[in-house]
Amino acid sequence: MDKLLFPFVSIVGQEEMKKALLLNIVDPSIGGVLIKGEKGTAKSTAVRSLAQILPWRNSVEGCAFNCDPSMPGRLCPYCKDKVSLGEELDSVNVRMRVVELPLSATEDRVSGTLDIEHILKTGERKFDPGVLAQANGNLLYIDEVNLLDDHIVDLLLDSAAMGVNYVEREGVSFSHPSRFILVGTMNPEEGDLRPQLLDRFGLSVEVKGDRGTEERMEVVRRRLKFDIDPEDYTERHRGESEELTSRLSKARELLPEVSADDDILRAIVKMTTHFGIDGHRADITMMKAAKANAAMEGRTAVSKEDVEAVAPLTLPHRMRRRPFEEEAFDKEELDRCLQSI
Amino acid sequence: MSAIHMNGLPFNAILGMEDPKKAILCSLVNPRIRTVLITGCSGSAKTVLSRAAGVLADKEVVNVPLNVTEEQLFGGMDIEATLKNGNPTIQKGILHRANGKILYVDDINLLDQKVAISLTDCVLENRVVLEREGISAEYPCETTLIATINPEGPELSTHLTDRFDLCAYAIFPEDEDSRKEILRRNAEFQKRTDDFIELYKAEDDALRSKIEKAKAILGFTEISDGLLSVIVELSVKVSAEGFRGDLALINAAMALAALDGRDEVTRKDVEEAASISLMHRRNNNHESPERKEKRQNEQDEDREKHEDREPDEGEESCKDEGQRPETGEDDEGEGPVKQPDKDEGPNPEESVEGMTSDDVLFEIGKQFEVIDYLHGTSRRVRKTTSRKGRRAPAESLDTTGRYTNSRIPEGKARDIAFDATVRAAAPYQRSRAPGNLMISINSQDIRVKVRERPSGSTILFLVDASGSLGVRKRMSAVKGAVLSMLRDSYVKRDKVGLMAFRRDSAEMILQPTRSAEYGYVKLSEIPTGGKTPLAEALISANTFMARYSRSHPGEICYVVVITDGRANVPIDPNADANEEAMKIASDISIPDVEWIVVDASSGYIRFDNAEKLAMELEGSYFKLDDLDSDRIAEGVRAIIR
Repeated sequence: MDKLLFPFVSIVGQEEMKKALLLNIVDPSIGGVLIKGEKGTAKSTAVRSLAQILPWRNSVEGCAFNCDPSMPGRLCPYCKDKVSLGEELDSVNVRMRVVELPLSATEDRVSGTLDIEHILKTGERKFDPGVLAQANGNLLYIDEVNLLDDHIVDLLLDSAAMGVNYVEREGVSFSHPSRFILVGTMNPEEGDLRPQLLDRFGLSVEVKGDRGTEERMEVVRRRLKFDIDPEDYTERHRGESEELTSRLSKARELLPEVSADDDILRAIVKMTTHFGIDGHRADITMMKAAKANAAMEGRTAVSKEDVEAVAPLTLPHRMRRRPFEEEAFDKEELDRCLQSI
Repeated sequence: MSAIHMNGLPFNAILGMEDPKKAILCSLVNPRIRTVLITGCSGSAKTVLSRAAGVLADKEVVNVPLNVTEEQLFGGMDIEATLKNGNPTIQKGILHRANGKILYVDDINLLDQKVAISLTDCVLENRVVLEREGISAEYPCETTLIATINPEGPELSTHLTDRFDLCAYAIFPEDEDSRKEILRRNAEFQKRTDDFIELYKAEDDALRSKIEKAKAILGFTEISDGLLSVIVELSVKVSAEGFRGDLALINAAMALAALDGRDEVTRKDVEEAASISLMHRRNNNHESPERKEKRQNEQDEDREKHEDREPDEGEESCKDEGQRPETGEDDEGEGPVKQPDKDEGPNPEESVEGMTSDDVLFEIGKQFEVIDYLHGTSRRVRKTTSRKGRRAPAESLDTTGRYTNSRIPEGKARDIAFDATVRAAAPYQRSRAPGNLMISINSQDIRVKVRERPSGSTILFLVDASGSLGVRKRMSAVKGAVLSMLRDSYVKRDKVGLMAFRRDSAEMILQPTRSAEYGYVKLSEIPTGGKTPLAEALISANTFMARYSRSHPGEICYVVVITDGRANVPIDPNADANEEAMKIASDISIPDVEWIVVDASSGYIRFDNAEKLAMELEGSYFKLDDLDSDRIAEGVRAIIR
């Protein structure tokens, strides 16, 4: 760890943003988070500082693609070869990482490059892994995601949709697993996000800066303390950070046991229908998020409260609206809807 | 600026520039201040000051040229080394060289937006993450960024402005004595450079040791809770978004205290620091109570007049439910922060709070569908890939625009990026059989250029929000029309800006942006009420567009004026408002900017003011009344095409 980051557990307020991030860590298949918000509201800080609290995971030792040995169906070609030769895959416990995709990234570094000559000459695969390989099993963070070049966005969309990164050059192809938690932050003043990319994000939150003086004071006070002595500040919050990590790990373990009864299913469907959302993705995402929420609280049964807690994160960016109709996601309407269920 | 000597003018020999000097000193003392912005016209010694700061801090000043490529700035491949050892080898960028030094960007508002954002991000994060052309690296970049902007150029986006901890205005001394003294010092410096530097050596040395001492004190400097709350209140008062302003203020105040040899921040430190840390983040144009009162009276008269002129036809009264009068807050007053001489122009973030109790906020009225451009023979003659999409035509022959990046070609490669192609081929040279050429390039090495898209069109809507449009909800119709056009731009990804005029000024509500959604919010927030300063509005729009079109070559610009054309606030108090406006309109002529007038007048008695206005502007003319369904959009489009 080179530069110390402001501890995640010490961020004041921004509960929705924190929740959205944590739920994705519990269940990466939720599909990531888009954080929209005013400038200077600690969006990037929050995402980057996740590095301190991310849980541990299993990975094949020495594998550049971070393959998960417990997922035989999702191995990279190298690990597959080993398995087919009857070799054992050595597993190591590594901490999940925040992998950053800088705006200046070029295509070849995002998807990785295929050394065609080497393949033609030797018949052996030679692939130089890119960001999408690093991101496998980790969290992929794009700051100012709305400013990313279109051709890079396309690469991301493909991987995010399939969980696999396909690289094809000159008729030679290579693919490796690339499943990651996609987290993007953006300031809407700088331009809109392409709808295709927007749909990709499982959850979305809007961060607002308007807060009371007291809260603002607290934000500033904490930041000041951190800036003056980052080591000491981080040390003071170590216990709390570790506690959160273990809560996340427990939730991840508990997740497969979490179930929802028919009432909950009905409630979810009713809600998405009420808000006029097409497609099943919203239903599925809401269910996953509700389960993750229950797991975070150590429960194995999804409650109405879980649904209530995750609905504002799942619905707003999916509401089929024509451009320029107010994106007024009405919380009261949500309450009414929940009440009626 | 020609007077930059190798050694540079000593810091203390620079006259005036109090705020920029203060900001720079703060950044030299407090490493938590990473970015300093200096605003000033050309010739206000911004560059000289930055060099002097380097000498003072005994640090090299690393310059970022405006035509810098991402390659040069962040780093890329070292071709020579890569050819030699057959492995992609990194060539570190300017930001690497800036580590531990001072980074200087002149006219940062002319730098590519994405590059500027990435650059400031690297400085604020102290590191560069590189994923380019076979190179994957991360390296530290601890530096102080000093950037300048010339207010005559395009404005810096608020997003980018906020990334500057401190911002100071370089004010060129106006009085004759100071100007003479500046000239004298410059001449002296040129003639006897060494002597001149020697002359200021003692002073500069003293300042240097003061900085050193301050750095030592800084660690013990404290700020009371009371002052902390003052700071927070200040930033709430100027409605600064986010917390960067608060923190910058604290850090600057601490540096000022330390420079003064104190370990306790005082109120005075806070006040001094506020002027350089909050000014560029303020979000409201504060209005003094007297002025507000004056305006209210004016408006009352105005309204009465309108009622005389336009008898109520009994169908819809002014107080229709469609309009929601909202009262503004009364506690705005003047902030304790002094206003800079340099006006940044009307604030784009002017909010509903700025309304007086007589203002009316109209909802967006009826909108109309826009015909399908995408399949019409629309103005996509320019091939601007106006639809951001993955299926951008590969056969795009558009080789105009700045070469910003390279990519792997989709289909047949036309606009080959030679440098990137060579870099792609470099790692393989050792293994490839040498042909007749020095470098053997295979088809998979080919890279094509990504060019900065000439961004199509920019449309500035100049909306009349005066009281006369409050009659019979006219404003709702106007907003509806603007929204329909905004929606049109959304599809095309044109840039749209909004300027509204009423009372005695024109205000930029929204700088041209591609975020049309943002335009929607701003549009709904435009209050209506007051007189019609048409002449002023024309001048403001003209000035803005003249500047804008110059800094955005290749872009087609339109100004859509939506008004009834009945001016009643002249610039010259003795002039007739209408005649003056027509006169100004006839004088307006910017190449590459087209004017369109939408007549918003209503009622049985037709005035032909707007039509005349269109004639004087040599622009096209449409009636808002004819707009129903999609007629206006079609009409406007016919012109734009």
